[in-house]
Amino acid sequence: MSDAYTTARARLARRKAAAPWILMLPALIIVLIFFGLPTAYMARMSFNLHEGAKLYTPGFTFDHYINLFSNEVFTTAIWTTVKLSLMASVVTVIIGYAFALLVWLKPARWRLLFVGLALCPLLISEIAIIFGWWMFFPKNGLLSFALMSSGLITDKISLMYTEFAAFVGLVYVTLPFCFFILLSILDGMDKRMLEAGADLGASPLVTFREVLLPLTRTGLLVAFSQSFIWTMGTYATPSALGPDTLWTMGFLIQEQMLGRSNWPLASALSMVLVVGVAVVITFTRSLSAKRTTLHV
Amino acid sequence: MSDALIRRSLEPTIFRVLTLAFSVFIVAYILIPILVTLVMSFNDATQIRFPIKVWSLKWYGDFFASPQWTEALFNSFTIAIGTALIATTSGVLAAWAFERYDFPLKSLLYVLIMMPLFMPGVVLGLGVAIAFGGVEIAGVDLYGSRGLVMIAHSLWAMPLVFMLMEATFRTIDNRVVEAAQDLGAPPVRTFFEVVIPMVSTGIISSVLFAFVISLNEFVMALFLTDRDTQTLPVLMWLSLRSAGTPRLAVASVILACTVFLCLTLIMLWYIRQLRKVAR
Repeated sequence: MSDAYTTARARLARRKAAAPWILMLPALIIVLIFFGLPTAYMARMSFNLHEGAKLYTPGFTFDHYINLFSNEVFTTAIWTTVKLSLMASVVTVIIGYAFALLVWLKPARWRLLFVGLALCPLLISEIAIIFGWWMFFPKNGLLSFALMSSGLITDKISLMYTEFAAFVGLVYVTLPFCFFILLSILDGMDKRMLEAGADLGASPLVTFREVLLPLTRTGLLVAFSQSFIWTMGTYATPSALGPDTLWTMGFLIQEQMLGRSNWPLASALSMVLVVGVAVVITFTRSLSAKRTTLHV
Repeated sequence: MSDALIRRSLEPTIFRVLTLAFSVFIVAYILIPILVTLVMSFNDATQIRFPIKVWSLKWYGDFFASPQWTEALFNSFTIAIGTALIATTSGVLAAWAFERYDFPLKSLLYVLIMMPLFMPGVVLGLGVAIAFGGVEIAGVDLYGSRGLVMIAHSLWAMPLVFMLMEATFRTIDNRVVEAAQDLGAPPVRTFFEVVIPMVSTGIISSVLFAFVISLNEFVMALFLTDRDTQTLPVLMWLSLRSAGTPRLAVASVILACTVFLCLTLIMLWYIRQLRKVAR
């Protein structure tokens, strides 16, 4: 009798230990088989040979990595990607910060409207956004028409296929991420702090520099790294709006994979991109972890 | 001293002007591509050119008359529905496991589940394409199939659902769950009859967010689809590269309208739940 009881109890305990694994099974299958396995496969693929017209030839070589860091086409692309992402992220964080501050300081009735506005770029497909700017910048586009009819210019102008257009598109796509991160940080703060600053005789600028900026530094850092990761991986916007010479890593991955059928090289490029993203994530995590321990 | 006084009285004015200027800038910046697309979709001409002289619904008719474009729309919807089902099921179950149980390697598994969300679409698409490029299941090529795209999209949608549901599960009253178990309900029954109804808003939101993510995504889809299974954003991307016509604007408007319909559904459901609580 007591024996049966213990076995029943043991069975129950075992079932209880198995329950979370059964619940997580579908998620783990997706992550391990469709993310872990492909990543491992990609890592292996980046060492394969590429000969002639075949997709790849099994083998082991560091050629593709050496190629990436010595061939000028690829070093330029890596440099372009990092530069473009850095610049776009800085601008995104500045605009996003100003936008979040605006929404935070405005009366509550404006809030819903602005939050809805900020959701737009997030909910609209990147391709639709690209197409929207694609109709705005060219010679026969809205910008040129608007400037002409307002009399500011006399000849049609085109900003299409310039680095500026690529930049505008990139910032647009990343802005909502920054905005929502920063708004949530600001929402956790007490607005009366600004009043206290003003009461003590500080001008808005001084209050901003001495009170607001130090308190939101962690949030700014997280927002910056989020945008940086996002812009590093986005290739459609810069390649569709920017000049033909604007080769980012994402563009080269697609080019090598679909255009040239060079799987090993495309994989090596992806690995470099993944490592770059991982480094940025780890870096931010360590920095923000330090900040929170200081505050707590 | 008068200098300081002037500065004092000027500062709020400058501040107000700057605020107004920035508000105008941000509203214009966000709305420009959206409004340009909306306006262009009612253009009658073949070319994209401002100003628009004749207005018509010609391109809407053209879109729905073209089998290539309607098929792409159908593919998009099929894949988005599949993604919503896969991502929501797996994400909700995993979030429940994290909320209710303790198990080894919990924080490591958390990172593992969230990781695909931080990976660029190009990398995920490439990885899945080369790993499953030549795989056949029951004589059907996995590559180019809608199922593979659904799972690839779930790599982004599932972590989001997981995150959303983890937060939602944390808000439920644990005593209710314990009461159900004390009354003798087995865990599975408790989950379906007590927990799920309590988090219905979170689940509806998860389904619709997963749907929207899949509907809009096109980089992974570009790597994983062929001519027969290509989604609407993929077709838009490919035709933008050759020549842009107002048909693309129509496609954009249709995509955006679907997304906003989903958002409205979430809002309506939320209001309904609030009313229920109030009653």
